[in-house]
Amino acid sequence: MTRRSINQSACLLVAVLALGLPLVMRSATYLHILILLYFYAYLTTSWNLVGGFAGVLPLGHAAFVGIGAYTSTILYLQYGVSPWLGMLVGGILATLVGILIGLPTFKMRGAYFALATIAFAEGIRVMIENIDRLGPFVINGPRGLQIPPLKLGLSNFMFAVKEPYYYIILIMLAAVLLLTYCISRSKLGYYLNAGGEEPEAAMALGVNVARAKLIAMAMSSFLTALAGTFYAQFTLYIHPKSVVSLDLSFEIAFIALIGGRGSIAGPVLGALLLRPVSDFSRIYFGDTVPGLHLIIFGVVLILVMLYQPRGLQEPLTRLYNRLVDRLAGTEGGEASA
Amino acid sequence: MIYLLEDTINGILMGSIYGLTALGLTVIFGVLKVINFAHGSLLMVAMYVTYWTVQMSGIHPYLSLVVVVPVMFVFGYYLQDIVIKPIFKAEKEVREPITVIIVTTGVWYILDNLTLLIFGPQYRNLQDNALRGKMFVLGDMLISVPKFWGFVTALVTAGLLYWFLQRTRIGRAIRATSLDREASSLMGISPYKVYNLAFGIGTATAGVAAVTLIPFYNVFPTVGVLFDIKGFIIVVLGGLGSIGGALLGGIIIGLIESVGPQFMAATWTEAIVYALFLVFLFLKPSGLFGVKYDW
Repeated sequence: MTRRSINQSACLLVAVLALGLPLVMRSATYLHILILLYFYAYLTTSWNLVGGFAGVLPLGHAAFVGIGAYTSTILYLQYGVSPWLGMLVGGILATLVGILIGLPTFKMRGAYFALATIAFAEGIRVMIENIDRLGPFVINGPRGLQIPPLKLGLSNFMFAVKEPYYYIILIMLAAVLLLTYCISRSKLGYYLNAGGEEPEAAMALGVNVARAKLIAMAMSSFLTALAGTFYAQFTLYIHPKSVVSLDLSFEIAFIALIGGRGSIAGPVLGALLLRPVSDFSRIYFGDTVPGLHLIIFGVVLILVMLYQPRGLQEPLTRLYNRLVDRLAGTEGGEASA
Repeated sequence: MIYLLEDTINGILMGSIYGLTALGLTVIFGVLKVINFAHGSLLMVAMYVTYWTVQMSGIHPYLSLVVVVPVMFVFGYYLQDIVIKPIFKAEKEVREPITVIIVTTGVWYILDNLTLLIFGPQYRNLQDNALRGKMFVLGDMLISVPKFWGFVTALVTAGLLYWFLQRTRIGRAIRATSLDREASSLMGISPYKVYNLAFGIGTATAGVAAVTLIPFYNVFPTVGVLFDIKGFIIVVLGGLGSIGGALLGGIIIGLIESVGPQFMAATWTEAIVYALFLVFLFLKPSGLFGVKYDW
């Protein structure tokens, strides 16, 4: 058995597991937790395109989630446009906004960029909270928007059971992971990496760092907005505090950072490790120890930054590689004997 | 017209207290070159320390400075020494480590939620302290007494801090390190000790701010977040690292918040503040008084 075939079978195993889980697991609660886990993995992977590869620290990605969620919901409620189409419109809108933020801010360094993205997201939240109607569009201020689940079905992105949501977000996650993989192997990926680590050196070699970052930002905001629509259709109720909150922006960044920014597996690993912590601590300790999961997040974040600045994916990847090596080694030995 | 004047005065008073809460941020940034995201949480901790000191002893709120300032200094000093220093040592080459921002965010989450765990989510305030609800009557205008003393305290604190940094030996060491870490360490100044001191001083000024807030403000576990975001805006408006700039930035925010509602819904003033902040970030990131960095 070669290393390649071991890797392939591992991927196959993961795929079969992910696809088959809803058939085995009949509990709606666990399915709900899993769907949110994939949702976060998707968000952090999208965040990673700009937060990881481009080497900056965006802390306002909830703004894009909100733009996606509100765009598709308003279009559906008022004009009967299918959320699938609304998803695209929201994505395009978010891309424009992302470019608008990126153009002036990518000139700034670390702290300033982080602050600008926070201010931007908070500004959008305040605006949504204060506007009841924007021209012909009903935004409904702090009360939020509710989607009545009347017309179920794939074309309306609404289902009575959780399984369809599970497969939709799974496909979205797989797609964004594939995209990340392609980018990391492409010229753009190398540009981003170079620009993130040594901007001066990269520019001296003729790499247009700002342009590469802008492309990453555009893609990241587009993809993040798609998740916003998914969230709106999944919960059927959105309000400014749920989809544009600072907490959401920070949680996305935290999960990616703990998992390992700038790697493909990192953000997914982060969501895989941290989402259950947050869900189960809320289920079991929500009333006795409120905020326990946030204390755990904080402690883990500090420990990871101190001892594994590249995230938890690094030791785990090393472990996996050693395992593969051993498997390949012994198997190979037996074959030759 | 009289309302406008009254709002202006109250805006300046409250704004200077905002400036005082942001002083520590600007001192820490000036030296360590990082934004301390936990600053609001440190302010929150200081507010709880003040609250319990006054509550249990029954002294005048301003007397609690004697307890709060040293406690917060030590807290800040060791927070930097134990949690943040290792990262600086690991990332010696990086001029402005993002990792430190992330770690201070972790500290923020831990402090806020530990406080929630210990003291619960309820709002607390000092009902019968010497300053609560007192007003100066100035013609037809009402000026809040605790805010007035906050204003005075903010000016005195900023003045003392400025004097300390300009005139004392330790102050000079701090400024030298902030200008050039390598050169100053060649002169025998230990940069990490200076970082600890700067962090301690920044946290101690948060303690002073907490004392001025306690007579009229509620204490609750997430109170720091309000001042955190405001603090970032203030220091960028005034220029990161500038003491006078922090006060001025605070007063600008205070004025917008207090005069703005004369012309629009009160909740919109928040949006104006964010918009102003973004305009400044894009047009003049060095702020009103900031040193020009190579951003």
